[in-house]
Amino acid sequence: MEKNLCDYMLEPDIIAATENVMPDLNNDLVLAKNFLKQQSAATGDTLYDHLVDVVQKILSQKPPDVVEHFEQYSWQVKQEKFRPNFDLLNDVYLSPPQLAVVRRMEEMFRLVKSKAEKAEDMDEEEQELDLEEDNVKPRIADLIDSNYYFKECGFGLPDSECYAVYIALNMLAIKEPVSTVRFFGKIYGTKENYYVAETELTLEELDRRIREFELKDMPGEGEGIEEGQMQVAEEQKEMLGEGEGKEEKPKEPVPPKLPPEPVSTWQPPPEIPVERPGQGVNKKVFWVCNHPGEQWICLPDVTPDQIRVARLTVRCMTGNLDAEVQSFPPFEGTERNYLRAQLARIQAGTSVSPQGFYTFGSGEEEDIDLEEGGGDLNFNPNPFYHGHSMKDLLDSSLTYWVHHGRHILKQGRTLWWNPNAGMVSFDEGEEEEEDEGPPPLEPESGPPLFTSLSEDSRLEGMTAWSVRSSSSLTPERAVAALRSNLWPGAAAFATSGQKSECMYIGWGLKFDPPNYGPAQLPRPQDEYPIGPEVMEMADPTFADEEAYRIAHLPPPPPPVLEGEGEEFGEEEDEED
Amino acid sequence: MNIHKLWEYKEYVNVNGATLNSEIISLLQNSLTVLQVENHFTIVQYWGQIYATDLDYYIAVGLTNDALTGKKYFYTTDFQFWSLLPRPKKKYKELSLITTFPFRGDPSLKIKVLDESFEENHPDRCRFMKEENRLAATISNICEEVEICARGQLMKRPDGSITINPNFYGLTATEAKELKSYLHIRPAQHRWNTNLLTRPDYNYSMDFLDSIDQDIPKGCWNLSLEKTGSVAYLKSLYWPGMSYFHKVKTSDAGFLYIGNGRKNLDVPFLI
Repeated sequence: MEKNLCDYMLEPDIIAATENVMPDLNNDLVLAKNFLKQQSAATGDTLYDHLVDVVQKILSQKPPDVVEHFEQYSWQVKQEKFRPNFDLLNDVYLSPPQLAVVRRMEEMFRLVKSKAEKAEDMDEEEQELDLEEDNVKPRIADLIDSNYYFKECGFGLPDSECYAVYIALNMLAIKEPVSTVRFFGKIYGTKENYYVAETELTLEELDRRIREFELKDMPGEGEGIEEGQMQVAEEQKEMLGEGEGKEEKPKEPVPPKLPPEPVSTWQPPPEIPVERPGQGVNKKVFWVCNHPGEQWICLPDVTPDQIRVARLTVRCMTGNLDAEVQSFPPFEGTERNYLRAQLARIQAGTSVSPQGFYTFGSGEEEDIDLEEGGGDLNFNPNPFYHGHSMKDLLDSSLTYWVHHGRHILKQGRTLWWNPNAGMVSFDEGEEEEEDEGPPPLEPESGPPLFTSLSEDSRLEGMTAWSVRSSSSLTPERAVAALRSNLWPGAAAFATSGQKSECMYIGWGLKFDPPNYGPAQLPRPQDEYPIGPEVMEMADPTFADEEAYRIAHLPPPPPPVLEGEGEEFGEEEDEED
Repeated sequence: MNIHKLWEYKEYVNVNGATLNSEIISLLQNSLTVLQVENHFTIVQYWGQIYATDLDYYIAVGLTNDALTGKKYFYTTDFQFWSLLPRPKKKYKELSLITTFPFRGDPSLKIKVLDESFEENHPDRCRFMKEENRLAATISNICEEVEICARGQLMKRPDGSITINPNFYGLTATEAKELKSYLHIRPAQHRWNTNLLTRPDYNYSMDFLDSIDQDIPKGCWNLSLEKTGSVAYLKSLYWPGMSYFHKVKTSDAGFLYIGNGRKNLDVPFLI
């Protein structure tokens, strides 16, 4: 019997059958282990090792809920097995971008620290020398303090950035000739952000810039324009003259007489002059940098034309000051000019403070006529400002808040400039009468300085500013926060004490509901004046041409006979 | 962002200058913890704030099981009562996109919306919508379009449910700089093959969501690394109040929306 079975049975069964052996646990264990230790062809990993690692990881880390995420664990163990090779490289590369930024910041800290130490030393010793030197220490607005209040209101910079920016402002004051420094805000860009500081220059620097400005301006503006126009007119006359001359001179085939060339009647609008550095829109000088610690870059002054175009376009900043600005109407300048124009608009529209915080003169009632004459006077923080109560500041009609940013007229300037004036005048608003020439233009006027916010136009039924209290639980230390709906990102705060400040953090885009519509292209101008020579007409069809030909056929020639003179008579006789 | 971590995440809020002050965080934590207990949520998140003319709405999200579909949205104006937002109907979502005026602050206000695409005398031209529905619809639109998470934060389990990954160790510095590593939290709109196979190290449990680099137009997401490169911020140009931050190499990440709930339609002009 067994011999027959030998042919069909497998070895272990034979052994078991012959030896009558029970399944050996040890044997099975060894077999199982060998199976598990089979190496995977792809990685050389064995299931046995892997399971050991997984169990070891679980036991050493003791995570909750292992069963649910067991697969994840297993996968992570596998992943980790590949890590050791690369860890060395990771350690070497200590995040390069971080390092560069950190180095710059270190330099900045060192600079500011050395200046602070120098100041301390000087305080102790050489105070007399200070009087001789230019001891106007630049006044830096306390950003850390303002940021604290802003954060109470739910607005502001994160602390780490705030400190770095404050030190950077100090650095700006040390390196550049500025007399006051204030943090204007942060403008986001698609690649890099901008930190913007608003400063006023020292008097010498301001004088220097005004002199530069006037040098550039040597040909007077009004005269320059007229000359330009005259030149253009003369050129055109020359061209016409030449055209006609050409037709007469050559005696070869005379070219067909062309209608006179069209004269362009478009005159560029008179160029509105830039406001001088230190006046109007260019009163404050802006400096920007991409990261605190970098060199601050001065933004150029803004021209009214740039403001006009910036009003008609929307664009996000990219972060690179020399980036091209492609828009319609065409913008002259690069991103630094565009940024400057936006900053001018934002500053004009969103610089607000409680009523009485700033004042003209030395702190009394504003009894100066606030017509255009008062448009360019300096205003200063009012030393006699005694604060308003929270109830007044939180009043939703916003009567106690006023603008302290000068409104930019449609022209692009804060002071009206009359384009019809023969000579440009920086008058204080006297309207010049025109004897001849174009009729006088209405001077544009905007709301005077220190207009209350309650007179801001409403936007879709919502006021231009929303006011909130920073705390509903502790009204004693509440701060009034003002949020702009027109320029999202602009905010201002005021305490019931004597602090107030404004800041802008955002993209630099105005809120334009429902959405922006690009400016239309102007109609193309007619080239030739429409006249019978130029007017297009349909070509006559074949039928028309036939009809014309038949209608205009010459009378049939009389039949030609021989003989000449006598034939006349004969012909006539014959015909009769 | 998870309400229990608001104090740590306070530093990372960086959207149009808005920050969270201590009072708001305290109030939020208190009332939202109560909400969590009442509703047996596993996670409660603070979603954001929507500006309105009189009062602002504060929005919170509660999750129980599924991180993709099991979300419940709550709103409040005074931190005392959180009201559940209704599930928005499709018509409200469309209407809320064309409503032009801002939120008022009164949830029961009936808003009249003029739908310009219909001609006059069409019965559907002028429709009514309650402000609450408009709020729900706006939030749902925002979430669908710009709510994002880092790759690996959400995980699909073998049984198909989606949970927050407890073993998320964060993106590496190189991954954090790419838009591909961030995914929309919404039912995937691309084919599952596309989502999976565009990466060299695809992973069935993580790559089931669309990544944001396919969004049109190309520049509508703004990714920046700040704080010396240790935090990645993502901002969308379509909804200018939305921000997402992720601390590189850690599991800290959060989404927040603080704004007036209006979509920005000028994105093609901006880039």
